[in-house]
Amino acid sequence: MRYAEYVVTGWVLTGAVLGGYRLWLAARTRRARDLFARR
Amino acid sequence: MTLLPRPVSVALGWFTLAALGALAVLGLWVAPSDAVQSDAQRLMYLHVPAAWLAYLAFFVTAIGSALYLWPRTRAMVWDHVAGASAELGVIFTGLTLVLGSLWGRPIWGVWWAWDARLVTTAVLFFLYLGYLALRRIPADPDTRAKRSAIAALIAFVDVPIVHFSVSWWRTLHQEGTVFNSELSPEIEGTMAFTLWFGVLAFTLLYVYLLSKRYELAVVEDELEEAELELAIAERISEPVGSAVVRGAP
Repeated sequence: MRYAEYVVTGWVLTGAVLGGYRLWLAARTRRARDLFARR
Repeated sequence: MTLLPRPVSVALGWFTLAALGALAVLGLWVAPSDAVQSDAQRLMYLHVPAAWLAYLAFFVTAIGSALYLWPRTRAMVWDHVAGASAELGVIFTGLTLVLGSLWGRPIWGVWWAWDARLVTTAVLFFLYLGYLALRRIPADPDTRAKRSAIAALIAFVDVPIVHFSVSWWRTLHQEGTVFNSELSPEIEGTMAFTLWFGVLAFTLLYVYLLSKRYELAVVEDELEEAELELAIAERISEPVGSAVVRGAP
């Protein structure tokens, strides 16, 4: 594949950002629920 | 309170994941490489859907903000939808900029150019980053929602400027292609299918992430309310005049 370094970086970065955001959302929701349950 | 019932949300999550996997196969292997740009053009299958989804996310933010500001429809649900969608819009705009830069380097020879489309998109990114910062400034929920809604409507003015920048000014970035009737060459079948499939997969992802971010906004709201009630209860239970006694000589 020509320009593989740009193409692969783009696709991997997109997957990492979107996957990371989904995991971050899950962690934030879990933490907020735990705090709410302790109140 | 959630935007989607739990079974629908779970099914949508798996369906979205499958669609994104299929998009990777289509975009990286099935679609042919471009005659001029070669494989660098494969970034189009992410860059274009990300840009369209950023527009959609900010449009939903503007609608949610307008519905909150209009007294007849005022409800916290619209503020939560607006805030959740703006966060997604910022992520998609950030991705659009980074993917565009990665695509621009091999094709234009530069990572960045002071081009109208690029600059207005960067402005859009920072406008909504400011909007998200504004939402974090402590205030009572109604005041915060109102000022955020006004900011969101002002920021939305940049969306049509970004979209039409390639027509209004001479830019390095190409003009609109997909709906441009003046262009004689048509996009190749598999390429067109992959591009539209990418838009569909990203739209599913947006709906899924919006429902999850909305869920978080509701929990955070409930938590804030519970903490406020607790603080009030603690203040009430303090002995009368205790603050005066501590300060007395």
